[in-house]
Amino acid sequence: MRILFYGRLADVFGMELDLDAETGSSIADVRQRLAIEHPGSAADFMGKRVVACVGGSVVRDDYVIGDNDAIEFLPPVSGG
Amino acid sequence: MSIVARLARDKLEPEQELAALLDEADGDGAIVSFAGVARSRSAAGRAVVSLVLEHHPTLTQQSLDDIAASATERFEVSHVRIVHRCGAIAPGEAIVFAGAASPHRRAAFEAADFLMDRLKTEAVFWKREVLEDGSSWIEPTQSDYDDRERWG
Repeated sequence: MRILFYGRLADVFGMELDLDAETGSSIADVRQRLAIEHPGSAADFMGKRVVACVGGSVVRDDYVIGDNDAIEFLPPVSGG
Repeated sequence: MSIVARLARDKLEPEQELAALLDEADGDGAIVSFAGVARSRSAAGRAVVSLVLEHHPTLTQQSLDDIAASATERFEVSHVRIVHRCGAIAPGEAIVFAGAASPHRRAAFEAADFLMDRLKTEAVFWKREVLEDGSSWIEPTQSDYDDRERWG
C-alpha cells in the first residue's frame, strides 16, 4: 500500500512509504498502525486535524482501502 | 462575473494584480484588495531567511478555486481574484493577493475578509519558516480558526 505524506509529516516519514497491509484495511487501521509504529506522531494520526485523501478527495476513517488506492495524509494546511 | 484563482510559482506583484482587477471591474464602484507579505522576523523575533510554501499537485489549485467560487456565491461581488505564491519566498515578497470588486463597498470589504479567513485555514499549503540555523512549520493558530468560524 502506497502512502504519501506532506508538510511536517514528510519530515518524519519521507514523502512516500510502502506499507504492507491486509486486504480490507480501513483508513482507521492505517492511522492506528502508524500511530503505534511512530509514537511521536500518534497525536496526529489519532486526532482530527490530519486528514486522509484518496484520489484527490478527503475520505473518512471507515473508508476501506482498495488494492490500487494511494493514501495521502495531509497535516493542517495554512495559506496566506 | 469573473473568477481568477492562480497558483504563482514566480514572484507575485500585487500592483499588477490590483491593476488587473481594476480593469476587470470596469463599471463597479468598489474594489477591495489585500496583499500578504512575508515577514522579516519570526514570532520569536528572529531573522527569517525565507518562507517556504509547499503545495499539493492537485488539491492546492482546487482549494483556491473553491474559496474564490464560494466568495462569489456568498457576496454580491462581480469579480474575485486570488493569486497565491508557492515555493521559497524572501522577506518582503508577496505571499498572496486577494481582491474583490462589487457595485457596493460593504460586499467588497466582506468578500476580501472572507477570502483571507478561508485562505489562512483551508488553502492547501504547508508553510515552513527558514531561519539561519534551522526551520519550523507554521500552522493556523486558534485565532485563525476562530476567524474562519465567523463565516459559519
